Amino acid sequence: MIESLEGSEVVDVTIIIDSLPSLLKATIMTLFLSCISVLIALVIGFSTALIRILKIKVVYEIASIYISVIRGTPLLVQIFVIYYGLPQIGISLDPISSGVMALSLNAGAYLSESFRASILAVDRGQMEAAISMGMTYGQAMRRIILPQSLRIAIPTLSNSFIVLVKDTSLVSVITVTELLQMSSLIIAKTFEPLTIYLTAAAIYWILITFFTTLFDKFEKRSSKHLVR
Amino acid sequence: MQVIEVKNLKKAFGDNPVLDGVDLSVNKSEVVVIMGPSGSGKSTFLRCLTYLEEPNAGIIRIGPHELHTGGKLDRKRKKEIRELRKKTGFVFQSFNLFPNKTAIENVMEGPLTIYGVTPNEAKELAESLLVKVGLGDRCDHYPSQLSGGQQQRVAIARALSLNPTVMLYDEPTSALDPELVREVLQVIKDLAEEGMTMVIVTHEMNFAREVADRVIFMDGGVIVEQGDPKELFDNPKEERTKRFLTMAE
Ligand SMILES: Nc1ncnc2c1ncn2[C@@H]1O[C@H](COP(=O)(O)OP(=O)(O)OP(=O)(O)O)[C@@H](O)[C@H]1O
Ligand SMILES: [Mg+2]
Repeated sequence: MIESLEGSEVVDVTIIIDSLPSLLKATIMTLFLSCISVLIALVIGFSTALIRILKIKVVYEIASIYISVIRGTPLLVQIFVIYYGLPQIGISLDPISSGVMALSLNAGAYLSESFRASILAVDRGQMEAAISMGMTYGQAMRRIILPQSLRIAIPTLSNSFIVLVKDTSLVSVITVTELLQMSSLIIAKTFEPLTIYLTAAAIYWILITFFTTLFDKFEKRSSKHLVR
Repeated sequence: MQVIEVKNLKKAFGDNPVLDGVDLSVNKSEVVVIMGPSGSGKSTFLRCLTYLEEPNAGIIRIGPHELHTGGKLDRKRKKEIRELRKKTGFVFQSFNLFPNKTAIENVMEGPLTIYGVTPNEAKELAESLLVKVGLGDRCDHYPSQLSGGQQQRVAIARALSLNPTVMLYDEPTSALDPELVREVLQVIKDLAEEGMTMVIVTHEMNFAREVADRVIFMDGGVIVEQGDPKELFDNPKEERTKRFLTMAE
């Protein structure tokens, strides 16, 4: 016990410095997965939200089932179905594409809910004021309702994005070399799980704090009309 | 010349009949005040005039735009409804200003989107309308930075921005603190003097006496009685009108 403490420190700084370049490279993969997935998820979420609000026939049902299934199953299962399951019906995707697909389908369902809620949260009088001037439904949506709902949605959008950044760690199980997978690879060589995992945790934390601050600023700026 | 003509307007919500055959003609430059107990269908009537509610039966004509009920809601009909709305300024009890736009942007919005004027033209027009309602110095304020009375005056300017043939007001001062009521009524009075055709739902009797050419008393989804304000207030003929007026005083 005492011997081992004397032999090596619990957290070894040189190991952190040595592994940092690899970890940072993997962080770029984490960021890449997050950003690509959130962009696709925004498109999915926004369009399914509109489909559900406008109650467009048939696609409405499809959108509702999609959201229910995604929200009712674990992300890890979704990843496995896409990466290991789909090849059985002839759809083979490489790990990164599988990961992006799983993450964006997953986040899309949650974003759809926040978009829908935020559009419905805009006061009914706003739509009435717009159409009473003679605007079309589309003009009223674009010019009056959506800008307001976007502001309402910022906090939940920001939250969804942060969850997404953390969820990218799950695609390590299908061998995508993102931050967590890289940490495990380094540990297999160095046998320093505590040091390396703590370093990875610190990187996640810095990333997420950065994005949180960014979104907070954005929210403040978009709410300037609400201050007296 | 009649600017508004409504024939046999009917509206029910589910099996609750709210308007039970309302007829109304309003002359050019006439100011009509509608009164009546809560739930009598006053708001529903105004909202039906611009198809914010779709009536179940009847004919509505505002200016040259005539709409019959029962038509299929296709592209052509939607356009006819929009044409009617452009010519009908609507002022809501709760203002419904766009909170993310400044006063002047609120007023510019219609001309920009509906008539496609240039931003400079819209700005000039909006500025003159805000001056007209006494808010020339509040152009760049957001609604949250304005009092209720100021907000409602911006809303009136916004309704005027499309150069409407008629103005409809649904209890424009009911959401206001008493000391702010006057400034809004004054703006409406000025418009009356300019010859604007207006239909106003309000409980303000003194205002009605002063400004209205005709007062309509509604109850149970029908027009019970109408006439010159002095006559209707001082010598109501119908029992229901009398009861309402004694309650209101
Ligand atoms: N969207 C709606 N759905 C169902 N019922 C409605 C709706 N709007 C109004 N009603 C009903 O229609 C009746 C008339 O309502 P309306 O708002 O026209 O009355 P009002 O004369 O304006 O009353 P108030 O003085 O309280 O504003 C009420 O019984 C009301 O409950
Ligand atoms: Mg009402």
